Parts: sequence; C-alpha cells; structure tokens
Amino acid sequence: MKKIILLGVGLVCAGTMYGQTFADAIMMKKKEICFAFMFDQGKWDQYWEGTTLISNENIGTFTRNTYAPMIAYGITDKLNVLLVTPYVETMSTGGQLAGMQGFQDVNIGLKYEAFKKDFGKHRVSALATVQFATPMTNYLSDYLPYSLGLGTQQFAGRVISQYEFNKMIYVRASAAYIWRGQTEAERNYYYNNGSYYTTYMDVPSAVNYELIVGGWALNHNLRLEATYTMLNNVSGDDIRRWNMPQPTNRMEITQAGFFAQYYLKALEPLKGFSIMATFNQALEGRNMGKSTNISGGVTYQFTF
Amino acid sequence: MKKIFTISLSVVLLIAAVTGCENDLPTFFKFTAYEFSNLDVDGGSWQPILFSSATDIVVDAPAAVSSPEYQAELATLKSATQNLSGSQADAVEYWTNNPLIRWNEIALELAAKYNLIPPPNPDGTYTLPSPANPQGPPPFPFAHPPYTCRMLAYLSVAQFDGLIAAWHYKYEYNRPAPYVTDSSIPYAYKKNTLPSYPSDGAVIAVVSRDILKAMFPLEHEYLNAKAEEHLNSLAWSGSNTSSDIEAGVAIGTAIKTTALARASTDKMSAAQTPKPVSDAIKQEAFDRFGWSWDNMEVPQRPVGLTPLFGQVTMWSVPDVEDVRPGPPPAPGSAEFQVAANELKDLAKNLTEKQRKIANWWSDGLGTYTPPGHWNRRTKEYIIKYEMNPLRSARTFAYLNMAVMDAGIACWDAKYYYHYPRPIQTIPGFKTILGTPNFPAYTSGHSSFSGAAADVLAYIFPAEANAVRAWADEAGESRIYGGIHYRFDAEVGLAQGRAVAAYTIERAQQDGADD
Repeated sequence: MKKIILLGVGLVCAGTMYGQTFADAIMMKKKEICFAFMFDQGKWDQYWEGTTLISNENIGTFTRNTYAPMIAYGITDKLNVLLVTPYVETMSTGGQLAGMQGFQDVNIGLKYEAFKKDFGKHRVSALATVQFATPMTNYLSDYLPYSLGLGTQQFAGRVISQYEFNKMIYVRASAAYIWRGQTEAERNYYYNNGSYYTTYMDVPSAVNYELIVGGWALNHNLRLEATYTMLNNVSGDDIRRWNMPQPTNRMEITQAGFFAQYYLKALEPLKGFSIMATFNQALEGRNMGKSTNISGGVTYQFTF
Repeated sequence: MKKIFTISLSVVLLIAAVTGCENDLPTFFKFTAYEFSNLDVDGGSWQPILFSSATDIVVDAPAAVSSPEYQAELATLKSATQNLSGSQADAVEYWTNNPLIRWNEIALELAAKYNLIPPPNPDGTYTLPSPANPQGPPPFPFAHPPYTCRMLAYLSVAQFDGLIAAWHYKYEYNRPAPYVTDSSIPYAYKKNTLPSYPSDGAVIAVVSRDILKAMFPLEHEYLNAKAEEHLNSLAWSGSNTSSDIEAGVAIGTAIKTTALARASTDKMSAAQTPKPVSDAIKQEAFDRFGWSWDNMEVPQRPVGLTPLFGQVTMWSVPDVEDVRPGPPPAPGSAEFQVAANELKDLAKNLTEKQRKIANWWSDGLGTYTPPGHWNRRTKEYIIKYEMNPLRSARTFAYLNMAVMDAGIACWDAKYYYHYPRPIQTIPGFKTILGTPNFPAYTSGHSSFSGAAADVLAYIFPAEANAVRAWADEAGESRIYGGIHYRFDAEVGLAQGRAVAAYTIERAQQDGADD
C-alpha cells in the first residue's frame, strides 16, 4: 500500500500548479502517514491579456518556482487528512521589477471515500474532498504576476469518481468549486470597471474540472496518467491594455499534461519511497501566463 | 451517511463564517446631505479665476414669486417630487446637496479609466493617443499625471467661477427656495436660506459635464447621462424649479466656453513633442550637465512623457523659472553615492511598513494619479467641515491650480535637468514599483504633494500637521519604491511648497477670507 495523495497544492498558485494527483481516487489506510516534497517550475514568455495572447519584453521570461512540502495521514481507511505549505519564488528575465519569495498559503484538506465497489474486474469509486487555504505570511497579493499567491482564504469542495478495469487501467473525473474571499491590497483605490474606494478586493471564485486516463505498469510499480484540466474563475475583470494584472481578474487556464510515479518497493533500503514527475502545458487561458510546468517530487510512506 | 451530513454541515458553517468577514466595497464616498457650516452670503463678490467679476456673466431677473408662470413652475415641481421611483430616490440620495463631490469622483474615475500607457506596436514603434482620432488605438487621452492635474484644474476652476456667478445672482434676486414659497413642496436635503435662482446644482452639472466631455471625448454618452440624472434630481429633490435650472445652465454654458478657450491656448497640445524636439532637449541637458535620462523599456519609448509640459501656462506663478530648483548632485559624486546606497540598502531590507507606504502612494498607471489621490483626501475634508458647494469649489480650485502649477514646475525641472532614474544609474537594480517614462529630478509625487498639502493646510488649518505629514510620506514612498533618489523627493517637496505659496497668496486676496 504505497500510495500518495497530493491535494490542492496548486489551487492557490493562480492556477500555475494544480498537480493531477490532488484529486486522485487513492486512499491511505488508517495510521498510514506520508511525507512528500514536490518542486514545480512554471515558465512563460507570453500571457493572455484578457483573451489576447501577447508577449512583453519588460517581463521577458517569467518563472514561478514552488517548493511544496506535504504531509498526509490516514485517520481511518475512508478519511484522510492532508497538509501542504508551499514556498514560492518568482522572477523574470526582462524589466526591472523585483521578484518575490516566501511561504504562500497553508492548505488543509480532508478526503473521504464515500463509495467503492467491485463488479468482477470492474471497480467503481466515488470520493469527496474539502480543502481550506489561508495565507501563511503577509505577502502582497496585489503585485501580479510576481505575487506569491492571491492572498485570500479559499475553500474548495470536490467530487471525484473513478472507474478502474482489472486494476490496470482507469478513468477519473473530478469537479470542484473553489470559493474565494477577499484580499487586502496596500492601496485604497483601484479600478475594476469603475472606482473602488477600499483596500479590499473581491477575488473571483473558480470552478476546476479534471479528466484523467491512467494505468499501472511494471508490476504495479509505475503509474502513468494523461491529464486534462481546467481552472476557470466564474467572474472578474480583464487586464486592461498594457496594464498590470490584479487579483480581481477573471483568470482561466486549460492545461494538458502527463504524470508518472514510480514506487521503489522492490529496493529494500528505499522501501516506502516513490518518485514522481509531471509535465503540464497551458493550452488556453485568460489573464494568465501561457505556462509550461515541470515538476518532480519524492514521497515517503510508512505505518505509524 | 451521518458522517457525510456532519461534513456537509461543517462546510456550510465554515463558508458562512468566512463570508461573514467580507468587507463592503464602496464605489463612491458614502455621505448624506448635510447642513452647510456657512452659506457665504457674500460669495458673489469673490474674485473669480477666469473673469474679472461675477457680473461678467449676465443673468436676467427671474419672474416674480407671485407671477402665474412661477406658480405654474412650483406646481410642476411639486408633482415631480411626488411618488419617486426607486431609481429616482437613489439619484436624489446619491447627488446630495453638494453634487460637486460626485463630479469630482466622476473625474477621478475617468482619469483611472484612461490612465493607460500606449503599448508598443508589433514592429516596436509606439503610436501616441491623438485627440484627432480619439478612438485610437490607443484611445485618447492617456490620462497620466500631467493630463489629469490639468483636467482637474479646469474642472475645478470652471465650477468655482460658475458658482461665484450663481451666488452673486442668488443674493441679487433673492428668490426663495421653492419649499419656502410653497411649504407643501418637500425638500430632500437640509433646509437653509440660500436663494434658489439660479440653480447652483445646474451650474455644476453643466460645467462639469462640458469640461469633462472636452477632456474625455469618448465619454460623451456617459457624461450626458450623468448630467441628465443630476439635473433631474434637482427637481426630484424639490431643490429648483425649471427657471432656476435654466438660469444655472446658462451660467454653466458661458463659463465652460471661457474655460475651454483658455485650455485650447495653454500650450498643452505641444507638450508631447516629436522625437527631434525631444532629442534636442536631451542634448541640451547633456551639454549643460554631462548626463541625460534614458527610457529603459523594451522596446525603448522614443520620447518621454510630455517633455514640454513645463511650458504650459501656469495659474499663479509668473514664470516657471521662479520655482526651478538648483541642480541635483552629479551621478557618481559622493552625494549621489549616498543616495544610491540608500536605495540599494532599501531594496535589500525593505520593511513591510515601507513596502506599504510605497504602494499606498504609488497611484501609478491605471489609477487616479497623485493629483487624484489629493482630490480624494480633499473631498473627505470638505464633507468633514460641511462646506457649501461654493466653498467646496474654491477649495478644489486652489488645490488643483496649485497641483497643476506644481506639475508644470516639476516637469520643467525634469526635462531641464534630464536626470537619470535609479534603474539607469545602478547596474542590475530592481524595484517594486514601475519606473515612469520621464526623468527623475524632481519627483512628481513630491512636488504635487508638497503643493497640495500646503493649500490644504491653508484652507483647513486644523489639519495642517496631518496633510504635511502625508506629503512627506508621499515623497518618501518613491524612495522606498526604488524609483527616486532622496534628493528628488526632498527638492520636489520644497518645489511644490514654493509653488503653493503663489497659489495661497492669490487665494488670500479673493475675498473669501474676509
């Protein structure tokens, strides 16, 4: 039972990193504990101003690195708890604006397996997760694209369903609604299709859909997935022409990607470890960078 | 199932708890109509800005209160005040008995809407906004700080002169307010003894609409709709009859014509120079001082922002060179190095408080600019001190005349000295604020703020310490943001104050202090 769940790491990274695995259908057994560390690098040299893809030599190539330590624990076989504390750094090759670095938002999630049933070689399962995120530091959200995150409390509810054939091939779909609150800027006036005389900004809520086709190989030591994900705000304004983005923007991103995880259970000294890697490419977007993300991570799991 | 229920309930409670902490997001200043602290009965004798006296505008005597035509107007007004729809009642509440506040907000909103820098074309060139082709792209105007300070100055000056004329004829003809003559007419605001002919609200509506239409040619529809609602609210609120409003409209029209005639000849249209002129200005500075400023954007902008704004006609300073400061320390000099080291040190060790100050006063692209920031503060004081519309207009007028003159003086220094920005002189320097497209010395924020604070200290003496502390902080904010040296800010503040001294001297002689 060398299983890993990564949940919600990227939920709050303005969509640049929402690893495929955070919505998977795998549960840890009671008293199993898992430590994970994931590094993700997203790069872009074009971004969508509204829905128009443009480049800006005063940004050049933009990089966002996320270091995400995570811990997960099986409260029961059907209820797991997860905690992620990402550290983010941002930089760009063009222009003179300073990048930022620091801890972003603490993410806490509960995952519940509501249904799992075998029909011969066919297995069907349904799960639900709830997640909560809130800033760990007083970083400035109103400094996009360099800001560490959106600087607001976030609350997400997700449903996941999976069909698996012969414990080899599976298809999974998940849908989430991410409720976001307000963020506080360091100015008390901003324009959002009109004047706002306040330091507070409404950060748009979002919906997130994922469709995954996966399978096991190498004697169930290797897991491979192809992923298709959408993270779309349900409201918000567009970046105005040649202007800075702001947290009120309507951000949308559609990505396609791959995920691979290899369990080192055959190697006695490394038993309990797994390594994983992802690749994601933004295909369509709005008010966001057209990012290419690669990530790698290590997990270690044992029974407590 | 029980567990699912428990989780669902927790979710609902958590969302409810977090939503309960949400803050109201105001889109305009919330205040209700108030009783004016003073009516300024002699306000019609004050010295206007654009005219020699209020009587330059001629307003005919109104029909007698007892005349059948005025009685008919009262009857019409009475029916207009009855059974207001929801949106009509909202309009009455929104415009209040000091609608100058709303027009100032509309001006700031349009400044923020149009304060967008033109983007590069695909071939690396830049197209400038043109009043001849306001649609663009890019749209006209680019409401940068020089544009916005000038827009606010003309708006406020025209409002002020219009209200001096209105006040003059109000007390010359002494037509009582409708609710005085006919006590069955309700009045939505605070009753006072101000005569109603001509309507001060109508003067404000027309003058504001027409000045802003000239400044924002793509907003005619929006501004017409705002003015129409405002004019209608004068009837819905029981403030004015139709002849009151017509007389106010006539004053407004006369004033705006004179104001826009001055605007058309103040040399603003030449402020954004062609490249050869800009290059010559730069070369002159280099020959004189041995340094010059470069735009560091990619692709490089061929011309800085409004190189000849320093030659625009000033309101109160006889000659811009009267307020031109001495030269800044040469780049590389010991004095310069102290300032540069401070910036490098701040970039490394900026505190959260310093970061907040930098952002608080940033008022950069996409916002209402520093002149807008000071107008917003002024508005709040006007309401705090319960000024009548005439006194409010005077406050905005001298504020914005001083701020525009400070901008002109600052721009004169910027292009005379052509001093490079920190990102140009300090290799590899990074900032948390975007560096603007014009030379460093003197700091525009500092000059605007020094002038604004001194005018506000003159008008609101009890707030002098607070406003001057804000001006200091505004100057300091640019150092924290990494886009100005300390000497830019300090000399800019002093320059702004020197400009304001001329404005205040003029204000002290206009009769309002007597």
